Amino acid sequence: MSNTATNGQPSSAAPVPTRTVTFRIKRCDGPGQPTRWEDFKVPVVPSSNVISCLNWIAEHPVTASGQQTTPVVWDCSCLEEVCGACTMVINGKARQSCSCLIDQEAPREGDVITLEPMSKFPVVRDLWVDRQRLFKGLEKIKAWVPIDGTYNLGAGPKEEPDDQQMRYTLSTCMSCGCCLEACPQYHKEEQEADWENAFVGAAVLSQARLFNAHPNGKVLEGERLDALLGVGGVNDCGNAQNCVKVCPKEIPLTESIAAIGRAATVHAIGRFFRGK
Amino acid sequence: MSGEQTFFERNYFLLRRLHSLSGIVPIGMFLIMHLTTNSSVVWGAINSRELHDTAMDRGVATFQHEVSFINNLPLLLLIEIFGLWLPIAFHAIFGVYFAMSGSNNVARYAYQGNKRYALQRLTGYVGFVFILYHVATLRWGWSWLTPGGTQWSHYFASSTLAAALKGSGGEWSFAGVIVSLGYFVGVTSLVFHFANGLWTAAITWGLTVSEKSQQQWGRVCAALGAGVMLAGWSALFGFVFLVDHDRAVAVEEQMVVEKYGPEYLEKLREKYDLEPEMQASAIRDAADRPYPGPAPKLDD
Ligand code: SF4
Ligand code: SF4
Ligand code: FES
Repeated sequence: MSNTATNGQPSSAAPVPTRTVTFRIKRCDGPGQPTRWEDFKVPVVPSSNVISCLNWIAEHPVTASGQQTTPVVWDCSCLEEVCGACTMVINGKARQSCSCLIDQEAPREGDVITLEPMSKFPVVRDLWVDRQRLFKGLEKIKAWVPIDGTYNLGAGPKEEPDDQQMRYTLSTCMSCGCCLEACPQYHKEEQEADWENAFVGAAVLSQARLFNAHPNGKVLEGERLDALLGVGGVNDCGNAQNCVKVCPKEIPLTESIAAIGRAATVHAIGRFFRGK
Repeated sequence: MSGEQTFFERNYFLLRRLHSLSGIVPIGMFLIMHLTTNSSVVWGAINSRELHDTAMDRGVATFQHEVSFINNLPLLLLIEIFGLWLPIAFHAIFGVYFAMSGSNNVARYAYQGNKRYALQRLTGYVGFVFILYHVATLRWGWSWLTPGGTQWSHYFASSTLAAALKGSGGEWSFAGVIVSLGYFVGVTSLVFHFANGLWTAAITWGLTVSEKSQQQWGRVCAALGAGVMLAGWSALFGFVFLVDHDRAVAVEEQMVVEKYGPEYLEKLREKYDLEPEMQASAIRDAADRPYPGPAPKLDD
């Protein structure tokens, strides 16, 4: 930009233009602690993302009003939107902070970005939440392909490209929790004892479909469906279809829910006539 | 998994699916029949073989025939109890219970689907209150809740309905405006609730899995809903704005005479002569005649 010319500096290392964006962050010191809002003025360079800004705040834990505070805590891992760990509510919408670019989210000088932890999970600290219930849900529906055993199962069965393609899409779920954050039927449950009967949510239903569709994973289909017939299972979905709108991986969650609904219908009728 | 499961937990799937099913059969089917029957007051006026002077007279006569037919069904009270009241109570009670497990986040996620989700629950509540009022006043005879204290009679179906909607003698009263508006809101809510419920039921049961099929079925449900809505609105419009109360009474009296003879009509009249304001809205006693269910009170 024109800085170089006006400053009359040597052009070898052109200074990166920076501007200031205000981050309004919902803070919480630990489970059960009160929450408070703190503002931070962060200098951003082109291509900054929310995580790089949080890194800057960690180095400069001083609020906009000049008060010393503790570094803001958050969770992340892959930094390329495949692990889901960095999910938080950014300007009201749940999404991954690593792939949230400041140039897009706050394009003008002085723009404000609000960061909150997801509201449907217990807060560990600041923006870091505990998504354990989601993983328990995956355990509940046995979201795996059982291949461990005492003998070699041989080569897997042949695959139709269409099936493979469908399963590939479902397999990109990163358990980020966006679909649960947006779901009007999914509520925060602090106590693990309450998870058993609480709604598992779209991600888990979709994973049940993924593993039921797997030629080897299919052997557990009955058990998966049994787990989803009860309270907190597929029937707890209210068809608001927010989940599919917010999923960053564009997983066809409502199709998965309907597919599980269909399988559950067949399974329940079968169970009635088999008598078990 | 600790301890015993409750009856509710053990039968959760069944109860959920019965809840879904009961909304379609019998309740939804009944809604369609009920509103098309009611709209006969309008389509009877347009296209009827009845022999009466004016179009609306023919509409009134057509509707009267429909109502008489229904009231001559065998075991009507049993049909009502097991086909309507119990399913509606079941659907409503579980519906409220299930709806309480939801929350409203339309402000944050203003998607169409989310709005429908919220509306489905709202119209459920509104519809249930409306059904209670509707059945209590017109079927159970809680006439103190109707404008002008009108008792609906299946012998004077159109005139008493017009009076129960607008006010005594089919003249507008303030309460009548409220009640008529309430009917509009109630009927609209219920038709939406039915059409949208029909759409989501196909997802719940797994009939429509792909997004495309959900869209297509959505269009079918919307078209069906529009048709039923038209029936409901036209019926309401007919009873509120088109039916002339006194002419309707004349048509209905003529039909009573044809069916039960002049003595019976005389009997009705004698009774009404003692109660002029009741005569104005033509009613009361009729439900004394063989009609199943609790007879309305005739005192004061
Ligand atoms: S389904 Fe989508 S929104 Fe839900 S957890 Fe998986 S990736 Fe996230
Ligand atoms: S469709 Fe079901 S799972 Fe998805 S947001 Fe709506 S209620 Fe939640
Ligand atoms: S850090 Fe893995 S998705 Fe953002």
